[in-house]
Amino acid sequence: MDNSAVRTEGLTKVYKDFWRRKSVSALTNLNLNIDRGEIFGLLGPNGSGKTTTVKLLLGLLFPTSGKSWLLGYPAVDLNVKSKIGFLPEESYLYKFLNAEEILDFYGKLFDIPKIERKSRIDKLIHDVGLNPYRKRPLSQYSKGMLRRIGLAQAIINDPELVILDEPTSGLDPIASREIKDLILDFKSQGKTVILCSHLLADVQNICDRIAILNKGVLQVMGNVRELLSQKDVIEFVVKNLSDNDIQAVETFIKSRSGNVLSINHPVSTLEELFLTIIQQSK
Amino acid sequence: MILTIAVHTFREVIRKKILHVLIGLGILIIAVSPFIPTTDEPDARIKMMLVVFFQVVVLLCIVGVIILSATSLPHEIEDRTIYGVLSKPVSRLKIVVGKISGFALVSALLLIILGLVNVVAIQRIASRLPEGYRSILKAGNEFTASQFSIQGKSHHVRQGIVWIEGGRAGIALWSFSDLYKKLDNKSSFEVEFNLKIDSSRKDIDAIPLVVRIEDANVDRWETSVLSAKIDEPLTVKIDPAIVGKSGAVNVTVFPIHSTDYIGVTQGDAKLFAVQKGFVYNYAKAIGITFLKFLLIISIAVMGSTYLSAPVSIVSALVVFLCGHVLDFVKDFSLVIQRYDVHEHTLPAVLKKPNILLVYIDYLIKKPLEWFSVILPDFKRFDSLKFLLKGINIPLETVGVSVGYTALYAGICLCIASIIFKKREFF
Repeated sequence: MDNSAVRTEGLTKVYKDFWRRKSVSALTNLNLNIDRGEIFGLLGPNGSGKTTTVKLLLGLLFPTSGKSWLLGYPAVDLNVKSKIGFLPEESYLYKFLNAEEILDFYGKLFDIPKIERKSRIDKLIHDVGLNPYRKRPLSQYSKGMLRRIGLAQAIINDPELVILDEPTSGLDPIASREIKDLILDFKSQGKTVILCSHLLADVQNICDRIAILNKGVLQVMGNVRELLSQKDVIEFVVKNLSDNDIQAVETFIKSRSGNVLSINHPVSTLEELFLTIIQQSK
Repeated sequence: MILTIAVHTFREVIRKKILHVLIGLGILIIAVSPFIPTTDEPDARIKMMLVVFFQVVVLLCIVGVIILSATSLPHEIEDRTIYGVLSKPVSRLKIVVGKISGFALVSALLLIILGLVNVVAIQRIASRLPEGYRSILKAGNEFTASQFSIQGKSHHVRQGIVWIEGGRAGIALWSFSDLYKKLDNKSSFEVEFNLKIDSSRKDIDAIPLVVRIEDANVDRWETSVLSAKIDEPLTVKIDPAIVGKSGAVNVTVFPIHSTDYIGVTQGDAKLFAVQKGFVYNYAKAIGITFLKFLLIISIAVMGSTYLSAPVSIVSALVVFLCGHVLDFVKDFSLVIQRYDVHEHTLPAVLKKPNILLVYIDYLIKKPLEWFSVILPDFKRFDSLKFLLKGINIPLETVGVSVGYTALYAGICLCIASIIFKKREFF
């Protein structure tokens, strides 16, 4: 059995103009191998080929050359889509429906039995915090609410592979944190997640491995910790040390030919500060 | 899956209040139609209501449905809501079929609601008419002659039309049989003639004819003298007693004066057996109109799989218009061809048709023949003519319409499916 959730071999996409002449090379010879159960970050600046890769995997675009497999099946296989959830970069939803109706519509497309569909809809609406607004048309939703219901529709089928394109865009820090927790929860359930994001801090926090694309070419791929670690630099995190002791440690390091780059009090992230303040004010 | 997409499409039309607007406008037009000035004939108002419904209200709904079905997919592609559907395990063929089914549902609802309103309004107005003028609310069966012959001698034959000189030089005879096979004894009968008439007398627009109707098996007949006008059908009621148990009738016709001529073919005399059953006939007309909707929806959705919304609307409208214009141009061609046939007594110099008309005919005929092969003929779905004449719409006509729609819509669906399968979504 193929253990990879996503595998591509020489995946290439060239956009052609009206006269079928080569216009833009959106993706060149991409070889990816994403294992089952991992959170994989797909990074890159605008126009780097992230969305093209996702669209090729989902069959919205057809490759110029190369092949791709999802969960062991060719990406063109229609049946494999029943095991995939997809959240596009914008919430492209039918605004004339309400939260319940949109989830019911997508649930029906997955052929989920009525009773099971209903219970899943109730749970998902509750999980994404839209229970009070479940009957309100999506045209009246804020961007953040649309993002939440978009995420709910992406997992209505309890997918094995979830593809999330900018899942936290438009969300406030609290909702953003909830989404990140949800993604980590997916991992604990054994699901595979592909995360396309510009928010590098988010990717760093939750992804196991990443790939960086630029101008349609894969620049680097690997474990986040390994890629970020500086092997010739050592960091001590110590609590309750007096100034004299700090001085002594610095002198000791210098006596051993070590080069002390900086001695600082660590700072927490802005996100942590924001969440703490909001939590305290409740 | 198809049903899910169909219901979703239907729901979108309902939620966006488009259906409400179409129904509201339709009811308004139906309500106004009895007040449109008409001739003094007692049943003219009912005829007007039928004409307004099938030519104005239906046209309005068709234009509405064309706009909806031609823009649905392009809008979903443009605002990218289609991504949500395409990323699910739904084939693109099912999406197209679902869309067509959804708009078919919309059309069915429109026709049922507006059709019901119209038929109720017609029944109410008809109830105020004297009994003798309610023939429009009947549906008659049409019989063509089982035999046709000329007794005596014909003057000449040209392009299949037999010309008879008056004064008993020749007599046209049509025989109708098996009239009771599909009818009951309560049916009343009438014969409608569509004769070509001509005269060597000047400034004549009508000629006197002798019409004799007799029971084919018993020695019982009735004879009447009637005035036949150029290009106007002539209708003769038949005494039910004439149509005996054998259900066979002979009809003979000849012009009284030797200066007059009639041109006849086998199909120029038709016998109608009038029965009640207007609502059933009306329902069949609505059914045939629904097939027309289904066909244009298939064409509009097919176009929308590749074209942008505005281009898709325009192309569907053009196909719809051409489907009606084709018939007009064919008629035009036929008129030119008959020009030297009908006016056989005119001076020789006028026998030749106008060269300009022939040239125009030549120019447009061939391209239109090709067009008529590719484009659908929407005139096939014209059921109004049956209702106005009070003729029962034959089930064969309904069957042919169903087959034509199935064939055409099937071809459209195949093309749409191939195009949509190959389409990329950037």
